[in-house]
Amino acid sequence: MKKWIKSVSAIALAVSLMAGVTSAASAASTLKGKIVINGSSALLPLTLQAASEFKKQNPKVKISASAAGSITGPQSVRKGIADIGAVDWDASKDVPGFKKFDGQVANPVAVTVFAAVANKNVKVDSLTTKQLQDIFSGKVTNWKDVGGDDAEIVVVNRKFGSGTRVNFQMKALEGKELMSKGDNYKEVGSSGDMKTTIETTPNSIGYIDLPYVTDKMKAMKINNVAPTEKNVLNGSYKVWGIGYFMTKGEPTGATKAFIEYIQSSKFQNGSLKKLKFIPLSAVKK
Amino acid sequence: MSQPSKAAANSFGKRNGRAAALDRIFTGLVWGIGALVILFICGLLFLLLKNGLPKLTWDFLYGLPSEIEEGGGIGPALFNSFYLLFISLVISIPLGMAAGIYLAEFAPDNRLIGLIRICVEGLSSVPSIIFGLFGIALFVEMFQIGLTILGGAVSLAFLNLPVLTRVTEESIRSVPVELKNASFALGSTHLQTIRRVLIPVALSGIVTGICLTAGRAFGESAVIILTAGVTTSGEMWDFNLFSPGETLAVHLWYVQSEAIVPDAQEIAQKATSVLIFVVLLINLVFRVPLWFNSRKTKG
Amino acid sequence: MLDLNASAQAAAPAELGQSIRGGSGPAFDRKARLRWSNSIFRVACIASAVFVCLVLLCILFLMFRTGVLTFQNVSFREFFFSADWDPENDRYGALIFIFGTVALTLLTLVISVPFSVVIAVFLAEVTPSWLRNILRPVLDLLVGIPSVVYGFLGLTVLIPLLRDLTGNELADGLLAAAIVLTIMVLPTISRISDDAISAVPKKYRDASYALGSNRFQTIVRVVLPAARSGILYAVILGMARAIGETMAVVMVIGNTAQMPSSLFTPTAVLTSNIVMQISSVEFDSTWNYALYLMGFLLLVISLLMIVAVRFLQKRGARES
Repeated sequence: MKKWIKSVSAIALAVSLMAGVTSAASAASTLKGKIVINGSSALLPLTLQAASEFKKQNPKVKISASAAGSITGPQSVRKGIADIGAVDWDASKDVPGFKKFDGQVANPVAVTVFAAVANKNVKVDSLTTKQLQDIFSGKVTNWKDVGGDDAEIVVVNRKFGSGTRVNFQMKALEGKELMSKGDNYKEVGSSGDMKTTIETTPNSIGYIDLPYVTDKMKAMKINNVAPTEKNVLNGSYKVWGIGYFMTKGEPTGATKAFIEYIQSSKFQNGSLKKLKFIPLSAVKK
Repeated sequence: MSQPSKAAANSFGKRNGRAAALDRIFTGLVWGIGALVILFICGLLFLLLKNGLPKLTWDFLYGLPSEIEEGGGIGPALFNSFYLLFISLVISIPLGMAAGIYLAEFAPDNRLIGLIRICVEGLSSVPSIIFGLFGIALFVEMFQIGLTILGGAVSLAFLNLPVLTRVTEESIRSVPVELKNASFALGSTHLQTIRRVLIPVALSGIVTGICLTAGRAFGESAVIILTAGVTTSGEMWDFNLFSPGETLAVHLWYVQSEAIVPDAQEIAQKATSVLIFVVLLINLVFRVPLWFNSRKTKG
Repeated sequence: MLDLNASAQAAAPAELGQSIRGGSGPAFDRKARLRWSNSIFRVACIASAVFVCLVLLCILFLMFRTGVLTFQNVSFREFFFSADWDPENDRYGALIFIFGTVALTLLTLVISVPFSVVIAVFLAEVTPSWLRNILRPVLDLLVGIPSVVYGFLGLTVLIPLLRDLTGNELADGLLAAAIVLTIMVLPTISRISDDAISAVPKKYRDASYALGSNRFQTIVRVVLPAARSGILYAVILGMARAIGETMAVVMVIGNTAQMPSSLFTPTAVLTSNIVMQISSVEFDSTWNYALYLMGFLLLVISLLMIVAVRFLQKRGARES
């Protein structure tokens, strides 16, 4: 209770300070409007955090966010029912399975890293791109063929349309086909389900966004490079992608201010880093 | 109830030996399965509550959610849950009950009505996500109001209408026809009969129906994600119907499937136990009038 | 049960007197008001019924209108009789999902109905009343637990258990889904059956006992047949919920478009496929239409099952 009052007064103080000190902020705080965001669920934590910070500065802007799947983002924008469509790939270009969306502008917001993960009981530490391709296409079905124990490989895949799946397929499997059937194959709907399944299923392998990797699972090295922030920054780990906010044409008004807030170095080096995403400016394209 | 059966078994013991044995086996079986299921339910509740309940604090119930740091609360989501449920029940209970009364009392007994009845039943099997898509088509595309509490509540009401309608109809139909005749014989009009006799007698069934739908509505996530969004307005006590309306069940879904906060697991456990408690509360709230009613009708 | 109309009786004489008096002149407006309120109430009931039907028709229409577009690109035969679901390569055979839904629903009913009816009998006829008053709200509680929680429990508790018991690598499949669904529909079926059994007038039981029946005979031959309509309705409702449940099933069924060779093969049903894919396909694609058509199909399947159950009930009624 007390904590609550404290935090509210702190917020109020922060808002009034910001409004008072910088003229830019006070100009922004008169900003009005409504922003509807839909799309990728992997970018949702980032969107929510940015929305709550942005609303403190601009109390008159209403932000409502929802998430159903990456492709929903640009589609909702095209239909005119969302102002921002969050998507895990550049939807203004063609990717495997999805055509490009004409007339939409991709505003990059964050870098996400993807890791191949396996259950703790798996003895293998590193896989080559070829081995990954074979496992995820169903050609190799036993861990002993890639240097592990004699045990069937359980492949866990994300559902079609998942941004993580599109990125993993493009970057880690170099565009090779994924399997879609088998006794030891299942698909899951979300990062959380993937995490739980990998943690509880022996001999399983899957892939997940780096922020969700826990110590109850094993993050595979790919071609002997571990999926860490450091290796992404020095360019040796290639399996990462950029998350985009799609808008219809160049963003305007409150939408523009919101996207600029997310791209600002204050947010990129602050909250975004704390959420274990990587700032846009840190990676070389 | 057990008195007469014992007496019966004793006095006809020899002649009905097989039946008596069957009776004993049957009673044992019912008790056995009953006890088994009760144990199972207790185990399930224990499993769900043991990790969450001891850690519940007022700060958690009241606080604002957090994306980065531990210790985020569920305040606005909890409030939205009640608010949304309230609005959706205000819409669906009168409509559902009136439609149920119509089907039970006024509707002609013909093929068309039979077809409608089966359709209403069938619709309770339409996955909630379809109702969500309907909600999007109606509120987001047609009325252009975006993701709002209002849209979520109305879509939720639609989801509950079929069940409420049929439960009301079934309960009113099961009222013995003698009671109805007695009421008519005393000169009551149809409305008086329905209000004073049929509904009070059928109330137990209707309340069960309302509890079931309210509980389901409280735990529903797919519809809300699509029509009311996964954000709250970020403040407590926001009665604006056009605010985004994340509910507790949606928050649970979000925390379990996407959130990055380090204590996501703990938040999920705590949110689960809060949900169970609230459903218990809803049950109590709806059952209190039932107790008064039964006291009234008995005394 | 019979003394319930005590209150109605208490209120009725006064009204009766008034309406008689009302006929003779001065209190005429009361009679008119009664008639008014009666007709208004009737109109309100009809209006709500029409509204409910309208909403439901709109949803039907939405699904049908979008779903039927599937047949622009996919033949009727392929959709219903091909088990090859590979939309990325334009193959839309939905047989797997139709089979999966029917099999899962039947399996769930086979497990849940006997249990639920026994629980209902237990609650309504066997338990002492104090236990009954505790148990009924507890059962209602189970309904309110979000399906996400059931799915999570299935994923973390049930599936590892099944995996250990059967020795399979993955235990996702029809059986796991049926068990989770059973737990979810158990309260619905048993609570509504419980109400139906409790609503059987006491005189039936008295008559049965008076004829020398014991409890088993009374329950099986008198009480259950008398409550049959209510129990059947409970089963239909539970079945409908089982057919339409999504969030929990998605987490334990495996979501793989293949014909299950056993109860432990990852497979998919109509609902799980709809919920997994409907938010990840383009709006105006055949794939999207096919998913809407599957939603419509789901409704048709549950209607067929309801009609089948009703038919069985009618035949049973004729025999007895």
